[in-house]
Amino acid sequence: MSNMINPAWALLIGVATLIFIGFIFWPNIGLISILLRSRHNTHREQVEDALKFLFDCEYKNIFCGLQSIASNLDISEEKAARLLGHLTSMGLIAVHGDTFSLTDSGRSYALQVIRLHRIWEKYLADVTGAGHLEWHEAADQKEHRLSIEEADRLAAQIGNPVFDPHGDPIPSSTGEIPEHTGQPLSALKVGDTGRIVHVEDEPKVIYAQLMALGLYPGTQLHVIESADGKIKFIANNEECLLTSHFASAVTVVLIPHEIQVNYALLSSLKLGEKAEIKGISPSCRGQQRRRLMDLGIIPGTLVTAELKSASGDPVAYRILGANIAIRKKQADHIFVNRVIAGQ
Amino acid sequence: MAASNNTEKEEEAILSLANKLRWDLGVDLHDIVIESIYEDATRIARKTVEIKGEQRGYYLDKSIDKIVTSRLLGFPIMFLVLAVVFWITIAGANYPSRLLSGLFLDTIHPFLKGFAANIGMPHWLTGVLVDGAYISVAWVVSVMLPPMAIFFPLFTLLEDLGYLPRVAFNMDSLFRKAGAHGKQALTLSMGFGCNAAGVIATRIIDSPRERLVAIITNNFSLCNGRWPTQILIATLFIGSAASPHWAGILSAGAVVGIAVLGIFFSLVVSWGLSKSILKGEASAFSLELPPYRPPRILKTLYTSLIDRSVFVLWRAIIFAAPAGVVIWLLANIQVSGSSLAEHFIHWANPFALLFGLNGVILLAYIIAIPANEIVIPTILMLTVVSTGIIGMGEGAGVLFQSGSLADIKDILQAGGWTLMTAVNLMLFSLLHNPCSTTIYTIYKETNSLKWTLVSTFLPVAIGLTVCFFVTQLWRLFML
Amino acid sequence: MNNQSNCENCSFHHKENLVRLGVAMNKADYVVAVAGNPNTGKSTVFNNLTGLRQHTGNWPGKTVTRAEGGFSYGGKFYKLVDLPGTYSLLSTSSEEEVARNFILFGKPDVTVIVADATRLERNLNLVLQILEITDRAVLCLNLMDEAKRNNINIDVRSLSKELGIPVIATNARQKTGMSELITTIEEIATGRFICRPHRIKSRSAKLNGAITILSEKLAQFFPGLPNLNWVALRLLEGDQRIIEAVETRELEKLGAELSTN
Repeated sequence: MSNMINPAWALLIGVATLIFIGFIFWPNIGLISILLRSRHNTHREQVEDALKFLFDCEYKNIFCGLQSIASNLDISEEKAARLLGHLTSMGLIAVHGDTFSLTDSGRSYALQVIRLHRIWEKYLADVTGAGHLEWHEAADQKEHRLSIEEADRLAAQIGNPVFDPHGDPIPSSTGEIPEHTGQPLSALKVGDTGRIVHVEDEPKVIYAQLMALGLYPGTQLHVIESADGKIKFIANNEECLLTSHFASAVTVVLIPHEIQVNYALLSSLKLGEKAEIKGISPSCRGQQRRRLMDLGIIPGTLVTAELKSASGDPVAYRILGANIAIRKKQADHIFVNRVIAGQ
Repeated sequence: MAASNNTEKEEEAILSLANKLRWDLGVDLHDIVIESIYEDATRIARKTVEIKGEQRGYYLDKSIDKIVTSRLLGFPIMFLVLAVVFWITIAGANYPSRLLSGLFLDTIHPFLKGFAANIGMPHWLTGVLVDGAYISVAWVVSVMLPPMAIFFPLFTLLEDLGYLPRVAFNMDSLFRKAGAHGKQALTLSMGFGCNAAGVIATRIIDSPRERLVAIITNNFSLCNGRWPTQILIATLFIGSAASPHWAGILSAGAVVGIAVLGIFFSLVVSWGLSKSILKGEASAFSLELPPYRPPRILKTLYTSLIDRSVFVLWRAIIFAAPAGVVIWLLANIQVSGSSLAEHFIHWANPFALLFGLNGVILLAYIIAIPANEIVIPTILMLTVVSTGIIGMGEGAGVLFQSGSLADIKDILQAGGWTLMTAVNLMLFSLLHNPCSTTIYTIYKETNSLKWTLVSTFLPVAIGLTVCFFVTQLWRLFML
Repeated sequence: MNNQSNCENCSFHHKENLVRLGVAMNKADYVVAVAGNPNTGKSTVFNNLTGLRQHTGNWPGKTVTRAEGGFSYGGKFYKLVDLPGTYSLLSTSSEEEVARNFILFGKPDVTVIVADATRLERNLNLVLQILEITDRAVLCLNLMDEAKRNNINIDVRSLSKELGIPVIATNARQKTGMSELITTIEEIATGRFICRPHRIKSRSAKLNGAITILSEKLAQFFPGLPNLNWVALRLLEGDQRIIEAVETRELEKLGAELSTN
C-alpha cells in the first residue's frame, strides 16, 4: 500500500477525469453533441428550406418575393438571389418576372421535406413527450437528415398520421395533400363556435404565447366579443383576448354545436366528490390519450375521487366500477362537471 | 404483368381514398370512434344491469385501501411487508441451503470423484467436469434455489392478493420525480429476488422509454444472489468493528444500508437517464387498482415455482457450468511457474488497489459473471491459491466455503483485506455488471445490443467511480 | 355465411395463418381464442377449460406470452389460445396487436370473451370491439358471485339478445358454468348456433359516410370479406397492419376462403 500515490492527488485526478468525461459526453452542451450538431449540410438545408417556404406561399395563396424568401431563411438578399438561381438551374423552380413558382419536381421535393418535418413533429408530440416548443425546432433539423424510408417506418409506427400536432395535413408518401381549409380566427364573428385546425408556429414569440393560452389544434373556442382589432373568446374554460395580428396565426373551422363553459379539472375534485367527464384536453395526445379513453375517460362517464396515494399523487378515481389511479398531471388535462350529491 | 399492375393500382387507390377520407374526418377521429363504442356499451349496460342495495365487497375493499394507502400508515406498512418477506426469505433459506450444499458438496462430490477415479478418468477431465462444472452448478443450486423458492411464492401471493398495485400507487410520486414509471417500484422489488425476473417483469410498463429506464436500473436492486455475500462480509468485518453486543445490529444495518443505497442509485440513475440519453417526460401513469381477492396458496406455490424459480434456476445452471470449467482451468493451467489466475491477479493488483479492491476480487467478479453466488467461494479459492496458505481449501480450482467464519476471515486477512476492502467489496457487489443470466434476459427483452451494453457497463462504471472516491477519501482521512 | 349452418364439421379458422402466428395446429379440429379485460379471471377460465395451471396474476397485462391448451368434447379436439388481457383493441400496444391479429387473421372458430360481471359496462368496450371483427363469439360473464355480493343484477337473457351472442354466467373460481360454456363453444364451432353480433350504432353520419364509401371500394376488391366496415374503419385510423394486409392482398385470402367454405 505504501507505493500508492498520495490520496489527495488521486482524488484530484479522479475529479478531473470526471469533469473531462462530462465535458465530452454531457447531453446538449458536451463536445460530442456540439460536434454532431455542427456537422449538417448547410447548402442542402437552404435548398430544402427555400422550397418549403415557396410551397407554403403557394398553398396559402400568399405573394412571395425575393425579400420574403431572404427574411424567412435569414440570409442576405444577395445570397437568396444566388440560391434561387441555383434552384432554377436544378429545375426545381421557374421564374416569371419577380415571382417564383415551383415546378412539378420542385413541388414534390418540397412535399417530401414537409412530410418528413410533420411526421417528425407528430412523433415528438405523441411518443417522446417533448415539449411543444421543441417540436418545430427539432423537426427543422431532422427534416434534412431523415431518409424517406425512415420516415415511412416512423409513420407506420405511430399509426400513419394524416395531421401533424399543429393540425396541418401531412402529405401522403405519394405527395398528395388536401386543399387548404378553415379561416383565420380573426375572421370569426361573435357567437361563432370553432375548432382550431392549425396554429402557425412562426414567429416563435406569437406561437409561444398561443401555446401558453392552451390553443392547440382540436381546442374548441367560442367567440364572445370582436371589436377594435381585438377578439375575445372562451377556450379551455377561460376567457382569452387576442389582437387580430395574433388571432390570424390561428386557423379554425366552424362547428355547429356550442361548447359549454365553466368546466372544472378532474384534479380539482376532493375525495368523495363526484363529477361527469366532459372531455380530455387536446394537449394530451398520442398513446396517453388513448389509454385514458380505454380506461373509460369518455364524455358522459361519471367519476368519483376515491383514494389519495400515501404521497398525495396519484389519486385513484372510481370510473365505471374500477379504481383507476391517475397522476395529477394527467388529471389536469381532463375536464369535468361536478355532480351535486343526491342528484 | 398487366393484370398485376392493375391490381397494384387498385390497392393504391384504396389506400389513397382512405387518406383523402381521413383528411376530411379531421384530427379527433379516434376520439369519435371510441366514444361511439362506449355510447353503445352504456346503452346496453343500462338495459341489462340493475344495482340495488349496497355494494358490500366494494366497501370492504375501500376500507382496506384507506389504510394501506394512507399518508400515515401507507409507507410503514409497505416497508414492514417487504421486510417480513426478506426476513422469511433469508432466515428460511438458511437451513435448506446448508442441507443442499451438504448433499451436493460433501456427499455427491466425493462420490463422483471416486467414480471418476474408478473408471480411470484422466486427472484434467475430472478437474474440469467434477471440480469445475459440477461444483459450480451445485453451488449455484444450493445457494440460489432455497431463497428463490421462498421469495417468489411470497411475492406472487402479494401480487394475487392485489397488494402490489397499491405499492406502485404509493411509490409513484417518487418515481415520477425521477422521470420513471410508478410500476418501476414493482420491478425494483422483484429485482430483490432476481434481476432477470425483474427485467422480465418490466413488461408491465407500457411506455418503451420508461421500460428501458426500469430495465437498466433493475440491477441496482440487490438480488438474492448477492444478499449472502453482503451478509457474510458485513458480519466478518463490519459487525466485528463494534462491541459484540451491537455486532448483529450493526452488520444487519450495513446490509440494509446497501440495499437502500441500491434504491437510491436506482432513482438517481433513472433521473439521470430521463434527463440525458432516454430524455423525455414521465408518461401517463394509469393503473387499475384491482379488487382484493383471496389468494389460493397451494396453487400459487406451484405456479410461481414453475413460472419463475425453475426458469431462473435453469438459466443460471446453463451459465454456471462453463464458469466452473473456466475457474478450474485458470487455477490449474501453469505458465512459467504460476497459474493463469496468479498472473492475472498479480497484473491487476495495482489497478484494483486504486479502487480499494484487489486482483483476486476483480478476477472473481469477472469469473462470477454467470452467477453472483459463486463470488465468495471464488475469492476464497483464489486467495488461497495466490497467497499459498497451507492447509486451507480443497485445492486449486475447487470452490469452497467450508470452515468457520473465523477461518474465512483469516484467509481474507492473509489476502490483505482491511475494513476498507470489505466496505468497497460490499459497494462493488451492489454496483457492478448484472450476471450473465440478466444480461441475456436484457438482450432478449430489448432486442438491442446498445441497451444491453449500456445496462452492463453503466453499473460497473458507477461502481468503480464510487469505490475510487470512497477509497481515496478513506485514505485521506483515516491514515 | 348461410352455408356455414349446414356444415356441421367444417372448421372456420385460417390454418395457414394460425401456424404463422405460432400455433401448433396438429390434431386440432377447432381453434378457440380466449380474450378479455385484465382482472376478469380470464386465465382462471382458461385453466378450467384446459386443466392447465397457467399462472393468473391479479395484475393488468400479466399474460404477456400467449398460453395454449386444449380439451376434447364430443369427439373433437378444441385448441385453446389465451390472448393477452387488454382494455381495448385499438390503442396499438403490443398486447393489443397480438390479440387483434389473432382474431382477425387466425379467424378462431370461437372467441370466448371473458367479462367481469361487476363492471360490465367497462368490459363491454372490449366486447363490442371484438364483435366488430368476428361473429363467432360467446360472452363468459365471470365473477357472478362477486356481482351478487355487491347486489348487482344482470339480465343475462336480454344481454344476450342485445349482443347477439350467447352469454354464459360463470364463477370460474368455483368452476360453475363451465360445462354450459363448453356446450356453447361446441354449438358455435359446429355452426349449430349462428351469432348475430351487435354492430356499433352510435357513429356520426359523417363517419358512417366515410366508412360506407371506403367499404364499397373494399368490397369490389376483396369480395366475401366478412368484416368490411371494421376493416374500412381501421384503414381510416391508419392501422399499419391492415394497410399491409391490403398491400399484400392478405385480406383477399381471408375473404376468398370464406366464400368457398
